[in-house]
Amino acid sequence: MIRTRQLALLWAFAVCLLLGHNAYLWLVQRIVPDTDIMALLPVQERDPLLQQSFSHMVDAAQQRVVVLVGAADWEDARRAADAYGAVLAARKDVFEATPINEQTQSDWLSLFQRHRLALLTAQQEAQLRHQPAQFWLEAALNKLYSPFGGPNLGSWREDPFGLFAGWVQERAQETPVRPRDGHLFVADAQRQYVLLPLTLKVPALSMTAQDTVLPLLKQAGDAARKATPQVELIQAGVILHAANASAQASGEVSTIGIGSLLGIVLLMWFAFHSFKPISLILLSIGIGCLGALSVCWLLFGRVHLMTLVFGASLIGVAQDYGIYFLCNRLAADEQLASPALLKRLLPGLGLTLLAAVIGYMGLALTPFPGLRQMAVFSALGLVFAWLTVVCWFPALIGSRTLKSGALVRGYGAALLRWPLLRANRTTLLAAVAFALAAGYGISRLGANDDIRLLQNPPKHLIADQLKLSKLLDAPTPVQYFLVRGDSVETVLQREEALKARLDLMAAGRRISGYQAMSNWVPSARTQAVRLALVEEKLLADGGPLQAIAAQTGEDAQWIAATAGGLRAAGAPLTLEDFLKTPASEPWRHLWLGETNGVYASIVALRGLSNAAVPQVKQAADGLPGVQWVDKVAEISSVLGRYREYMGWVVLGAYVVVFALLFPRYRRRTWRVLAPTALASIATLALLGFASQNLQLFHVLALMLLLGVGVDYGIFMQEHPDRRDRTPWLAVGMSAANTILSFGLLGLSSTPALQAFGLTMLLGTALVWLIVPCFGSTKESNND
Amino acid sequence: MKLMKSILLAAALTALGQARAAVPVAKIQAMLAKPPVMCGRFDQSKQLAGMKKPLAANGRFCVVAGKGVLWRTLQPFPSTLRLTRDEIVNYQGDRVAMRLDAKTEPTVRMINNVLFSLLSGDLGQLETLFEVDGTVDASSWSVMLKPRQAALEKAIGTIKLDGGAYVKTIVMGDAAGDRTTIVFSAIQSGEAAMSKEEAALF
Repeated sequence: MIRTRQLALLWAFAVCLLLGHNAYLWLVQRIVPDTDIMALLPVQERDPLLQQSFSHMVDAAQQRVVVLVGAADWEDARRAADAYGAVLAARKDVFEATPINEQTQSDWLSLFQRHRLALLTAQQEAQLRHQPAQFWLEAALNKLYSPFGGPNLGSWREDPFGLFAGWVQERAQETPVRPRDGHLFVADAQRQYVLLPLTLKVPALSMTAQDTVLPLLKQAGDAARKATPQVELIQAGVILHAANASAQASGEVSTIGIGSLLGIVLLMWFAFHSFKPISLILLSIGIGCLGALSVCWLLFGRVHLMTLVFGASLIGVAQDYGIYFLCNRLAADEQLASPALLKRLLPGLGLTLLAAVIGYMGLALTPFPGLRQMAVFSALGLVFAWLTVVCWFPALIGSRTLKSGALVRGYGAALLRWPLLRANRTTLLAAVAFALAAGYGISRLGANDDIRLLQNPPKHLIADQLKLSKLLDAPTPVQYFLVRGDSVETVLQREEALKARLDLMAAGRRISGYQAMSNWVPSARTQAVRLALVEEKLLADGGPLQAIAAQTGEDAQWIAATAGGLRAAGAPLTLEDFLKTPASEPWRHLWLGETNGVYASIVALRGLSNAAVPQVKQAADGLPGVQWVDKVAEISSVLGRYREYMGWVVLGAYVVVFALLFPRYRRRTWRVLAPTALASIATLALLGFASQNLQLFHVLALMLLLGVGVDYGIFMQEHPDRRDRTPWLAVGMSAANTILSFGLLGLSSTPALQAFGLTMLLGTALVWLIVPCFGSTKESNND
Repeated sequence: MKLMKSILLAAALTALGQARAAVPVAKIQAMLAKPPVMCGRFDQSKQLAGMKKPLAANGRFCVVAGKGVLWRTLQPFPSTLRLTRDEIVNYQGDRVAMRLDAKTEPTVRMINNVLFSLLSGDLGQLETLFEVDGTVDASSWSVMLKPRQAALEKAIGTIKLDGGAYVKTIVMGDAAGDRTTIVFSAIQSGEAAMSKEEAALF
């Protein structure tokens, strides 16, 4: 009795520490859970440069919000965009608008103009090789005489053959966005759009920032609609997805958490007709959650929102210990003091905790930092809830506290009518039928490892994203080529080799184009080759330049002056010079620079469809230093690998749990595990019949099901006498609550959580139904 | 020849203010015939800095409301420029020397619009990009178009338009000393103005 009191006081002290730490975290430090979905993905360390290239691409994209304001008429679109922009301009602490500067526009050209002689398109290079002198004479005269001879960027004499103009036109076509009336402009057949590129000054993934930015965007949208009622607004940005994911997860935390709690409260009331057990169970769950959060924060220094969502389902398991104790208290003799009762229950309780912790630790074996955190959070939560039950319940619940109700009596009576498996012909037939049905069901299971399982943005965000990328023809940040070399020149030359293949892909309409540094700064080798071509085919004696002079009545002096002017612009353009000018600003993210003597760049693809990926990625085959990077496929392959890997972990866990239980249950050990194993198989078969695709999260749920199901097996085997209804009541109550909590997780709109919830729902229900069938027959009582 | 450049730039520039010029634009607008189809002959003379002789060219042009502009140089060698809503194409003989597609080059529609306004004398449209100043008498008018933006003026200088019921001459001159004069004559209007060959080109 004294020991019980000491233990209770000691635990009270620990709980005070927990409460203090939690109060400090929430009230003083004001912690905010992470919402970044990428934080849930595995960190890959095998290729730092590849990783760097990816974060480079993602960082460039993450802080951006792109808004298109469209209307059939340009003036309407402009008015709406101005109204939209005015709202955002008032909050310079949140948004940084990119000004459209006339000056940068002309600076943009001047650098290239100084090096124009060597800047040719690939098509022009081919024409220089193959077209006769007459072709170039005609081109130059046409340009000279025509009043509107094409976009001309200097005087005729500075670019008589229109080569530089053609190169600039090709560059301009890397984006359909054009300056117009001080705005950025893009159009499709129906509407004209003002493009508003915005840069966030606040971190896109912080929830406080999202709470500021989203209402602001809505306000701006309202202003735009007021200015032009029929305006079309298209918005895209990481922050919109992040905010949506946070809102969705927060909503789910409250539905799942509250639903689960309500279920528990109702069940308890019907079972014990008292609020004391309810409050005690809630106490154990509450201490479990707070303790898990505290220690998790100390361990990881952060907590992800998904961890909390998953943690909400912890309620379903953490209650088992309290329920088990309460049910036994209800059934036990009033003469038996609570501490003595606990002492009797402790082996079973200890085993249930151990099995559940093993179940959760299986999750910690994955390389996903998020899952690891969830596993640690859940296991800790269970340990804290368990300790609360063990330390406090005997002191708080006297032998006469609980009364049983009609529901309990009725439910308990059902156990006697439950079939009990015996070694006979019926059992054999049932086993064969089950094996056949399960085998067929499982054979129908497909597999799905798509990254979209992790996040499921709402349709309107996807639609906006699609429309935006179509209008802007922007490259995808997750699929690209990574080019490496030991010098800038090597990288540029390797890019050019790759581009020669990509040009064929573009001609075959597999991609619409590509962005590369060498588009702007060709390699020194290419520039030299092109310069030599221009000399040989255009400027040489007897060439087109002389023919032009003859046609227009000019003399040798004019020829010399013109050729001299052109040659003065023949110095090669260097990457260094380009990177120094503001003109390179939109392309700088493609250049990764030097890391440990290795230079690297990104060649990004525009208009790449998923169907074309297998062919397009082959462009890297056999090219030294060129590598295809596909983050989507990479994550999917990780998901797939771990689905298989976790399958083996589940099987291994059965072996470990069996070994763990064997010393206590000996020949009855299989009876503890069989219900869970059969329920798992049946669940897989049912998923197969429902044409579901197996994914990592189904397998993870099976792992957890092992932890939960073994609890029920242990409860039943701890009280082998069929007339003892206590374990049956404990199983029923905790299974009902588990189903409530995980069943609600099945309502999650995130496919991963839904799969997890559905598996738990089916599995737990099946274990509940099957577990009495494996009760021991009376003979085995004497074991 | 700097017209294209000026239009490209003009399209990119802000129309500063909406102040209306002193010249009675409405009066000129009323004087213009603005037929749905209009064709005629042009004589173009270009004086470029650094070239001794002026470059002379001539040919035919057609302006079709709602459709675009056809500009056919016949002398000294044939070359055709066609501007429509969706593209700008330059043919040298049968060969396409240049093509700008509105799908990839969204300014095509604006270029077409401005050029159409220039050739048909639609000062109302041009006023958004240029300051219009000039004189009007009973049967003719003359205006100077001065780009509203300094950068545009630096690039193309000014445009002078003369006309009556139709635009008669366009003179473009820039600071570098390049000067292009286009004189329109034998203007016909109505469906019959366009030859079969020209109609086929559209």
